[in-house]
Amino acid sequence: MSLIQCQGLSKRFADKTVLHDLCFELPASQPIALVGPNGAGKTTLFSILCGYIRPTSGNVRILGHKPGSAELFGRISALPQDAQLDPRFSICRQLMLFAQLQGFNKRAARQEAERVLSLMQLEDVIQQKPATLSHGMRKRVAIAQALIGNPELVLLDEPTAGLDPVNARNIRDIVHQHSDNTTFIISSHNLSELEQLCDTVLHLNNGHLQQQVDLTRTQDTNNPVSFLTIHMDNCPSDAFIQRVSALAGVNSVEPRQKNQFVISYQPINTSPLDQQLLMCIKDNQWEYRQLIKGKTLEEQLFASER
Amino acid sequence: MSTSISTEQSSPYAKFLHSLWVIAQFELVRLFATRRGLLTLFTFSVVWYFLLTKGVMAAANFIQQNTSAMPNALLNSAGLGTFLTWPVAEFSAYWTFSLYLFPIFSLLFSADQTASDRDRGSLRFLMLRSSRDCVFFGRFAGQMIIQSALVMVTLLSTLIVALTHNMESIAASLQCVLMIAANLILVLLPFTALMALLSAAVRSPLQAMILALLVLLILSSVFSSINYRWPMLEFLTYLIPGIHLNELRELPPTETLSLAYIPIFQTLFLLFVGRFVMAKGAL
Repeated sequence: MSLIQCQGLSKRFADKTVLHDLCFELPASQPIALVGPNGAGKTTLFSILCGYIRPTSGNVRILGHKPGSAELFGRISALPQDAQLDPRFSICRQLMLFAQLQGFNKRAARQEAERVLSLMQLEDVIQQKPATLSHGMRKRVAIAQALIGNPELVLLDEPTAGLDPVNARNIRDIVHQHSDNTTFIISSHNLSELEQLCDTVLHLNNGHLQQQVDLTRTQDTNNPVSFLTIHMDNCPSDAFIQRVSALAGVNSVEPRQKNQFVISYQPINTSPLDQQLLMCIKDNQWEYRQLIKGKTLEEQLFASER
Repeated sequence: MSTSISTEQSSPYAKFLHSLWVIAQFELVRLFATRRGLLTLFTFSVVWYFLLTKGVMAAANFIQQNTSAMPNALLNSAGLGTFLTWPVAEFSAYWTFSLYLFPIFSLLFSADQTASDRDRGSLRFLMLRSSRDCVFFGRFAGQMIIQSALVMVTLLSTLIVALTHNMESIAASLQCVLMIAANLILVLLPFTALMALLSAAVRSPLQAMILALLVLLILSSVFSSINYRWPMLEFLTYLIPGIHLNELRELPPTETLSLAYIPIFQTLFLLFVGRFVMAKGAL
């Protein structure tokens, strides 16, 4: 069964259409990224999937049910953007309430609250009220509530925005650790983060589904051309382009950001290009920082906008 | 699942009732475990203390002293006849005060059933785990439990005062407690339902309270005008919570429940509309 099915999904607010006729189907899988510029409709899509708002037209099914239906309670969860816990109650009391609503008895609810807070390394704040916590800690508590009861699907809207690097990495680790049993859909502007975590990318722009990218496929079956992306250290750009262009099978070498190059080539059986490239780097006594098979996510999504 | 879940095998109906009860219980926590709740409770206690000592007791003394000296007809003509409707003087006074005060307290207590949670986004966390109906009716039920408890507390304090004056009135007093409790809870139902509806439509308890006052004043005025021009539309006035209070106050105790259908109908109507507002609103 598909995790999410959207058919002709549109959402209109007053005179503005925020989502235009979205059609996609997502299987339960490794984490899925939802990317797009501000105002692309990511949060609106999340809100529809969570049942917070209704689509103007179209059909949505999550695990075979309508968003917001009772069959999904406890099976899907979310970190809604800008939603805050009630400042009058302790973290413990609120997380226990959520767990009890998911069917935990009082004792089990307390244990579950402690478990999800410990995942976020927030055991010490269990008796505190949200107002006493920093922005980052409040966000981590909100992520903790999304993990109560190990739901099958978790929607995270900008989970690492505003977090320090250590805690952002902790969130990524948690997503990675839980991704065998839980499908995460993550909305973020941090493409390198999504590249590390996700296998599938949905690209929204102006409410339209621009593309659905499978990051596990480094080679496009319809396109015989392959790509390598390399990030060099202390390397003269012109000399690099000249020498690498001369390697067997290389079509072009295009500079991107600082010291980053995208190499387009025809794969040949005799000598794989990555091996030739490393030999070339060694021979020229250059240093490289990172070699990626294929294009970066940014390159795949926005190459046409250059 | 990492931990045992008690309702995993339950029917959808049982799960709904479980969630409704969890949410209703949390309303009690809201009153007794938050600073704002305790402040509200303290204010209520202070007001009620003065009402009991300066109002109920003084009125009861007045009734006791004058019923023997003045004939009922004279008291009725002085507009004090309603003080004589209940067999125990303290409860006569309590009935007169509480019939109008409790609805006001109800508007204050139950103004924030879902408004600030909607504004803050906290409702979104709840909606991942329970239905909008569950939250709407759970909060309403919680508010009714709280107000019923407050009614009982004030009635019991009045009972103590009554028994202190006259221990022999215990049977009559207990009957008064039961009758008044039932009537007051019925009176409070539509006011709480009105606040559930308004709270579902706005984003702050203050807005809900202001809207409640406007609705009650405007509806009274509009329906009175309609009733004056088109008497056949008189039934519309029965949509206004508290419309029957004056009539109720003058009824003998044994007949007070004969008007129960009015608040019950109002409550069902308001909850029906409120549920619709709650279901349609964006979170």
